[in-house]
Amino acid sequence: MFKLSRYFLLLLMVFSSSLLAVTEYELVLKDHLFFPSRITIPAGKKVKLIIHNQDDTPEEFDSFSLNRQKVIFAKRKTYIFIGPLQPGEYDFVGEYNPNSARGTVVVVKEAGGGDVN
Amino acid sequence: MKTKSKIMCLVMSIWGGITQVWADGNPVDKVYHPLVIANERKFEWRFTSRQTDDKNVLAQRFAYGQAVSEYLIIEAYISGQRDESDDYGLQGIELEARYMLTDQGQYWADWGLLFEFEKQHDDNNFEFTTGVLFEKEFVRTSLTLNALLIYEWGENVPNEFETEFRLQYRYRFMPEVQPAIEIYTGEDFVGIGPAFMGVHRYSGIKQLKWELAAIAGFNGNSKDRTLRFAIEYEF
Repeated sequence: MFKLSRYFLLLLMVFSSSLLAVTEYELVLKDHLFFPSRITIPAGKKVKLIIHNQDDTPEEFDSFSLNRQKVIFAKRKTYIFIGPLQPGEYDFVGEYNPNSARGTVVVVKEAGGGDVN
Repeated sequence: MKTKSKIMCLVMSIWGGITQVWADGNPVDKVYHPLVIANERKFEWRFTSRQTDDKNVLAQRFAYGQAVSEYLIIEAYISGQRDESDDYGLQGIELEARYMLTDQGQYWADWGLLFEFEKQHDDNNFEFTTGVLFEKEFVRTSLTLNALLIYEWGENVPNEFETEFRLQYRYRFMPEVQPAIEIYTGEDFVGIGPAFMGVHRYSGIKQLKWELAAIAGFNGNSKDRTLRFAIEYEF
């Protein structure tokens, strides 16, 4: 029983981030533009970006600074987990349309941060 | 025999099999990342040159890979090798599947699985590899681990298990240049050395990735150095 509890605790540690409440932020991709294009999130916390692609073509979310890369299929939504991050600005682009599909995640050090501009 | 003893015997047999490894392969190869990108297609070329006291073995692999879902990519390889007698030829063919178990950043670490099936060209010798891929971000650095279990069988090789472990600790300095340290272990082999890698983006999703590493083996007084290079064109 004791061993089982230890394994359970280990699994809990490994997968704990999914069990904790993660703040969600919604973005829309339309006409190869992200709305909003600037998102403010709190430092030191994991958040979930939910991106709705309303275009008829797929897009690939890409950010070297966020270390994230994911395809968003046409007329579908996807989610991307980011953080915990240090304060600063983290740019992202849509790789298929890098000149228009651009945005920034602004990470601020404040209690209860998380405004979406 | 009591059940507990049987279990102990089984565990010891499996452990014996795992630790009884063979030395005909070079453990220095690519460190796999769990990430799979949907719609990804790529051509890849890998090159390794292993210099020991008495021989130099050059190996090259050409591959085509394609993601078949958001989480699964299949890659097919042909490999060639120049042995100590300067004979260069087709060594084998290989089919590889890499499965992304978790989305990036979803959990405490990212996880994936690797499956490889390889057949030697001239002989009916086979190799099957399974592995666990792990990646964890630490601010601007990433730690990637591969734990691989390999089983080999065939006409000219004994049926044996091999284990390999690969580690890469990478600093995400800038897309084009990312320095890293790599560690490899295999049978009678522990190697460590610097690595550099990067990515250059073209239009759209087209990009060129490169990796270069110089791994020194710590196997007593004998020389054992491997230079590995890989280039990957994604489109």
